Amino acid sequence: MQKKSALSAATRIYLDNNATTPYSPILKSRWAELLDIFGNPSSIHQDSRASKAVLREARHKLANLLECSPLEIIFNSGASEGNCSVLNAVFEVTNKYRNEFLISAVEHPSVLKAAVYLQSRGALVHYIPVNRDGVIDLNYIKEKLSVRTALVSVMYANNETGTLFPIKEISKLAHKAGALMHADCVQTLGKLNLNIKDLDLDYATFSAHKFYALKGTGFCYVKKSAPWLALIHGGGQERNRRGGTENIIGIAAINIVLDQLINTEVRTTEMLRLRNLLEELIDQDISNVKFIARNAARINNTSCLIINDVDGETLLMSLDLKGYSVSTGAACSSGNPEPSPVLLAMGLSRTEAQSSLRVSLGWETTEDQIVKFVSVLKNIIIKLREINRDVNILEKKIDHEQ
Amino acid sequence: MSNKESKGRVLVAMSGGVDSSVAAALLVDQGYDVIGATMQVWDYSECDITEGHGTCCSSIDVDDARSVADKINIPFYVLNCEAKFKASVIDPFINAYLAGETPLPCVNCNTYLKFDHLIKKMKELDCDFLATGHYAQVVFDEYNQAQIQTSIDDWKDQTYFLFTIDPNIVSKLLFPIGHLKKPAVRQIAEDKGLFVARKKDSTGICFVGNKGYDQFIKEQVSPEILKLKKGKIKRYPSGEIMSEHEGIHLYTIGQSKGLGMTYHEKLFVLKIEAEDNTVWVGEEKALYASEVNVIETQWLTEVNDGSEYDVKIRYQHKAARATVTKTKLGIKLNFVEPQRAVAPGQAAVLYKNQKLIGGGWITLK
Repeated sequence: MQKKSALSAATRIYLDNNATTPYSPILKSRWAELLDIFGNPSSIHQDSRASKAVLREARHKLANLLECSPLEIIFNSGASEGNCSVLNAVFEVTNKYRNEFLISAVEHPSVLKAAVYLQSRGALVHYIPVNRDGVIDLNYIKEKLSVRTALVSVMYANNETGTLFPIKEISKLAHKAGALMHADCVQTLGKLNLNIKDLDLDYATFSAHKFYALKGTGFCYVKKSAPWLALIHGGGQERNRRGGTENIIGIAAINIVLDQLINTEVRTTEMLRLRNLLEELIDQDISNVKFIARNAARINNTSCLIINDVDGETLLMSLDLKGYSVSTGAACSSGNPEPSPVLLAMGLSRTEAQSSLRVSLGWETTEDQIVKFVSVLKNIIIKLREINRDVNILEKKIDHEQ
Repeated sequence: MSNKESKGRVLVAMSGGVDSSVAAALLVDQGYDVIGATMQVWDYSECDITEGHGTCCSSIDVDDARSVADKINIPFYVLNCEAKFKASVIDPFINAYLAGETPLPCVNCNTYLKFDHLIKKMKELDCDFLATGHYAQVVFDEYNQAQIQTSIDDWKDQTYFLFTIDPNIVSKLLFPIGHLKKPAVRQIAEDKGLFVARKKDSTGICFVGNKGYDQFIKEQVSPEILKLKKGKIKRYPSGEIMSEHEGIHLYTIGQSKGLGMTYHEKLFVLKIEAEDNTVWVGEEKALYASEVNVIETQWLTEVNDGSEYDVKIRYQHKAARATVTKTKLGIKLNFVEPQRAVAPGQAAVLYKNQKLIGGGWITLK
């Protein structure tokens, strides 16, 4: 364990729940019991019973939550695997008669890069534009859909801006053209009620670490009638649809957290109230801040700010040093921020994208935290704008002298 | 939040090498609040993972810097400087070679990134100081003016690369290892259990790596442009054409190996003329010059017309005495002893009693 450095704030406030969530307190309190579940679910002896039971229970609970059949749930390592599996499966099974893909321009890299890979294998990929208000171009979808379309893949909620896309409507269009429909639903659980049957999806993908359970675990909804092909071949787990011994602790953690996901009304309403409070306070106290897609349909926990004359990278570091975790653009695995491709795809300028800040609330966020955050944010922004102004004045002076 | 006994907050530039790692560790010991930062200056995503080892800015080095920061328990950030580095270091580097000069990219990196971009970050992050792992020292004169002085390690001294520093920021700089010699720095790293203690020194230019600068230029510049750099090798002073060459960027002043021809005497590159791509070669004695013109000068302290200074004309050069005469574009240097292989594109840096006075760029014009 790392001890606290002199520059670590006494308490940290976590406002980056779209990147990952902290573990649910219930999960923490029941951690020890997870460690007793060690058996290989494929074994025959009695030591495997607890593992088998966990798999069965979690699968049933998920099916109830999503209103689907337990057979339609495949446990895997998370949404990146899920997204790659879906695109790959659809291509492999259908490419002889349908080889066009329609995906939104603001998808997660696991969809975008899988699509690039399919392009290299001969698929034709159309990227559906999304404008700066977060509205997806339905006319483009209608134009491009044809008897050659294999799959339409649009995320339900965008991780960076929180915008929600009209999945039900897009699903209807896709199915009318005989295409399959996939939605990356990684940002939804714990934030809104999801009914897969109502949305009429063929595929939906999820990661457990976005809803207070563990990293490296997730699941994929695959409609019974939808084609599938295992990405990982193995010992017949998940009815031959995903090889490899199941991540039992991860799935057991989902099983525990699911009890809290069944009724999230109170939590989601509170997150919405706090998110709106955050935006109102910023409106009141800080000048020249825009909110991306503020008037669009958004998930209730996300706010994406464009702060004029402030570099998002520096703002993030300053906030971090004061004890606040937020993000700018998408969290990048190298820790090396580039202007967010999602914001660029939405038509924002490089400068705007580099001045962006994403605040994403969680179940544990409190009003006090939001109030403190806005006051710290305000002070940092004032300071950074002052330094920028001084530098600009100096640069102008030098230009003038030259 | 700041520790009450803190000596102030420092932003330390960490490359992942032993010098800047020890610099950061010493600052922590001395009671500063330290924040580490690495500038990501080059996109290594397409590099072979085994490549770039032992140079100062590959992504492996970013990881090394991060793990040292973890070990000494300080916050650490990666700053994305790729665009700025390309515009202010890489492009001028390539253009200099294509113009027949011998560039010095480390100075531009210091001018535009370390002591400009990082100074801004220092202010933005509420830091009082900026520290680097340079072999250099900051000393205060009798008027309490901060000045840059050479490191006690003559061999490693890096003040040659620091002549463009704005004099107004010198008092904000900390060079925590400038009073140490390299073996002592390694020993401290060893004692503190920093795993970079035995890491190889970076040699050469960080973004070029082991492949050599000619290969780097070949990768970065289109073949059509490189074709325009072909020309003739001529014997000095007769003008006799000795052979053809594949591009002036492949030659540097003083070079004698790899001239692509055999000759009964050893020949050296004396001069490169970009106008018609002529590479002049001749006897070693013609490499020596007493008079050197220097432009775009920058001074940390006043330079006196007609005075004598110790002058370095390349990094690993033993400073030589020269008299300074101010000119319209900068200065003219008259060396007491003629100097070998004075190369345009390199810097001439002036010292008085180990104090860095300033410098400028060597030119033929």
